[in-house]
Amino acid sequence: MEFKTSEGRIEIDAKRSGSAFSHEGMTIHTGDELWLEIDGRKHKAVATKVGDVWWVHVNGHTMQFEVIEPGASSSDDEGGLSAPMPGKILEVHVSVGQSVESGDVLMVMEAMKMEHKIVASSDGKVEAIHFKEGDQVPQGAELLSLGE
Amino acid sequence: MLKRTLVANRGEIACRILRACREAGIEGVAIYASNDAGTLFTELADISIQLEGEGLAETYLNQEQILQIAIDTGCDSIHPGFGFLSERADFAQAVIDSGLIWIGPSPDAITKMGDKMTARITMKEAGVPVIPGEEVTGGLDEVLQIAPSVGYPLLLKATAGGGGKGMRAVHRQEDLESEARAAMREALNAFGDDRIYVERLLTGSRHIEIQVLADKYGKTIHLGERECSVQRRHQKVFEESPSVALDAELREAMGEAACDAARAVAYEGAGTVEFLVTPKGEFFFLEMNTRIQVEHPVTEMVTGVDLVREQLRIAGGQPMSCGPLNMRGHAIEVRLYAEDPSNNFLPAIGELKKFIAPTGPGVRLDTGVREGDAVTPDYDPMLAKLIVWAPSREEALQRMGRALDEFVVLGCTTNVRFLRELCTHQDVVDGWTTTDMIDRLWPDGWNPDISDQMSNAGLLIAAACESTNHGRVLTSSGASSELPSPFSTINRRFP
Repeated sequence: MEFKTSEGRIEIDAKRSGSAFSHEGMTIHTGDELWLEIDGRKHKAVATKVGDVWWVHVNGHTMQFEVIEPGASSSDDEGGLSAPMPGKILEVHVSVGQSVESGDVLMVMEAMKMEHKIVASSDGKVEAIHFKEGDQVPQGAELLSLGE
Repeated sequence: MLKRTLVANRGEIACRILRACREAGIEGVAIYASNDAGTLFTELADISIQLEGEGLAETYLNQEQILQIAIDTGCDSIHPGFGFLSERADFAQAVIDSGLIWIGPSPDAITKMGDKMTARITMKEAGVPVIPGEEVTGGLDEVLQIAPSVGYPLLLKATAGGGGKGMRAVHRQEDLESEARAAMREALNAFGDDRIYVERLLTGSRHIEIQVLADKYGKTIHLGERECSVQRRHQKVFEESPSVALDAELREAMGEAACDAARAVAYEGAGTVEFLVTPKGEFFFLEMNTRIQVEHPVTEMVTGVDLVREQLRIAGGQPMSCGPLNMRGHAIEVRLYAEDPSNNFLPAIGELKKFIAPTGPGVRLDTGVREGDAVTPDYDPMLAKLIVWAPSREEALQRMGRALDEFVVLGCTTNVRFLRELCTHQDVVDGWTTTDMIDRLWPDGWNPDISDQMSNAGLLIAAACESTNHGRVLTSSGASSELPSPFSTINRRFP
């Protein structure tokens, strides 16, 4: 089974025996309740799925794992700059074709009444700008594209 | 005595006030915007009325509509909570002019304290120490002209503001112009007033505030301090009482200064005087918040005073019920925000698919949300406050850590883990909390401290859940060999 995490794509092979799953000395007991057994100790876990993402709470940690359907393309949207949260575009500082350096402010957006700068993560050329000043953008929307 | 109170607020503070009303035998009236329909606070009221319109300006900030509802529902008083209209002198005046009781200080006291420049002058006259700084009325040009004389690092603040909006720290002169423009624009958007105030940023100092309470019978008291130094984006996340930085002598000096500040504006009700305290033990007046404060529960836990109940009592014309100050044990509050601490604390949204709150001795949760609620970008990202009390500071930190470990919030990213790690961070354990500590400790941003073993365990749990369709409710048709329950029979009859 394959998952996407903050560390990248991870594949996991677990041994199943009835409702228990084990891997490298850890066992998960499934059923109405979830229990993690590790080094002879049991920790209650809570998990729920939202869209393709499993949210897991165990031992004071909250984690998210996105299930990747077998055969799905692995292209990540590299070079794209997306909205970190839903909000409104306040300023667009660049135009298509303009060369920018890493650290340059490309856009300023407002959300929750706070301003956030969208900054170039690498040197490059602006290939496309997808929103203009005053536009509302949803979380994760690609705001502009940078090329080599 | 008040009989029926309209609570002009939402979320956790509306819940807090409506519960106090119920306890005091006062009927509570809630108002709510359409996107708050069915949330917790609307159920805690005796009467709930939906506001017409959309957006803050047409709903929770709509003075005429709110006042009309108060009159139509036969209220004798309005409690504004915090935020929204709580520090709007014009609204307080309109409430009073309609013959209702405003649960808060007089419009004159709100005006004097709400405008930072007026407050500064009033405090200087009352002999309360103020921070070195300059007031700017002439726009951007004057900001640029005045800044060198104030010195760097400096802080730009919206004169009309609060809550971190329109507030910018400037460390280098070359950043001044762009930051000043941003501060003025944020101030204009948030408060409709772009005046800003330039003051010296006192780094390494603590943010300590004193709770005051004053009634109509000339009694003004302080209820000790709250230490609110741990902040991100100039908003508090972790508050405690008492502060490790105060001894009895400094507490008394600051308490007296706070009472002087309150008396200088003939203050009535509950209020908070904020001070910056330098490492040398000097203290400077920052501002007075003329309302109940988000972090009021820590004071309630250590003093045993029910502040909201006292507000209701004082507004109803009775004397306050508190005796002499008696602080006991230690209380800590953390603010649960829908935000991503590993991504610069940006607000997050989502549905609270699981919301399992901690319980047990000494644990109090003031929440405005519950499982199943949607967190939207429409309102402030603070969801709830978790407060603990314990006999000592050490035990309070341990209790908070335990409670945060138990706190399950899934479906919307929150700062629970960040708060959990604060509880065991050496600087916090040692009491070295300063207003710049989050930037100082995590200059490149915070990331959860999690072992490989635990993140592998998480992955395994996700895999096990995916394989077993964990949590998926199976329909009763077919598979089960057990007798059908009466409910599923009814289901079949009414498909």
